[in-house]
Amino acid sequence: MGSSEEDKGLVAKALAGDRAAFGVLVERYAAQARRVARGVLGDPDDADDAAQDGFLSALVKLAQYDTRRPFGPWLMRIVANAATDRRRRRNVRQAEPLDPALVGGGPRPDAAAIRSELGARLRTALGELPERRRMAVVLFDVEGYSHAEIAGILGIPEGTVRSEVFHARRRLRTLLADWKEQAR
Amino acid sequence: MKDSQAFDHRPDPELGAALRGALDPNDDQKAFVARVMAQYERALDRATVPTIDVLASWFRPGIAAAAAALIAGFLLGRTVLAPAPASIDAAMALVDGPGLAALVTASDPPDASVVFSSLVDER
Repeated sequence: MGSSEEDKGLVAKALAGDRAAFGVLVERYAAQARRVARGVLGDPDDADDAAQDGFLSALVKLAQYDTRRPFGPWLMRIVANAATDRRRRRNVRQAEPLDPALVGGGPRPDAAAIRSELGARLRTALGELPERRRMAVVLFDVEGYSHAEIAGILGIPEGTVRSEVFHARRRLRTLLADWKEQAR
Repeated sequence: MKDSQAFDHRPDPELGAALRGALDPNDDQKAFVARVMAQYERALDRATVPTIDVLASWFRPGIAAAAAALIAGFLLGRTVLAPAPASIDAAMALVDGPGLAALVTASDPPDASVVFSSLVDER
């Protein structure tokens, strides 16, 4: 991810109609936006659709961006809203189904399979958390945003962000510890 | 990994890495970026053209609705503001007297003196 000043320069160019500048912003934030959207939606294809919606919505609203603030949280708010809207439209609580072999702790042929198993378990555990909670933990522990920035992204008080991160971590850390225990 | 009961203000690198691994699309993003950029012009078009289109599409129905509202308002106003016809009882209550009785019961057209006398009686 580029610096905040570089982002602002790119935004200014994009606002002036520089297509390539907007392309650089998309490249910079694509991975983050896709992860955040996947944190909300679970399904990777849905997440990519939502992330795309978010970027295009940001393009249209670019004139509304306050350049005194960092670009990332502003963009992630739009992406998170796009993902939440898509999830509401879908109207199905997302919990990616686990492979039955993984639930039973089946054979693990190699390290990639083990990582894949952990990933599946974490995605399932994330899917079981309330939406705001999993967005808070993804934004904090994965994307490195501060509590204050997450409060701005999610439109909730900072204290609530701390609480959501705490509860999400408690659940996910337990799962991670159990998995490590089993992996020994 | 840290104690799950502790409240920590710092990101947890181990949990963060595990979650990142779980959520990462595991591709080089190029296809995704190309997909977004393929919609660039269309997104901008959608953002600008509809403003004109919407205004244009509102124009004719707007004029028609305004005209209909004007006509309806005129008709309603005329109905409400027109004086209601007085009932015969109300009229008789105002000019009650012997002259009036003669006036309303006579089979022939009244003499002018009867009409005047009913008015004089009232005063």
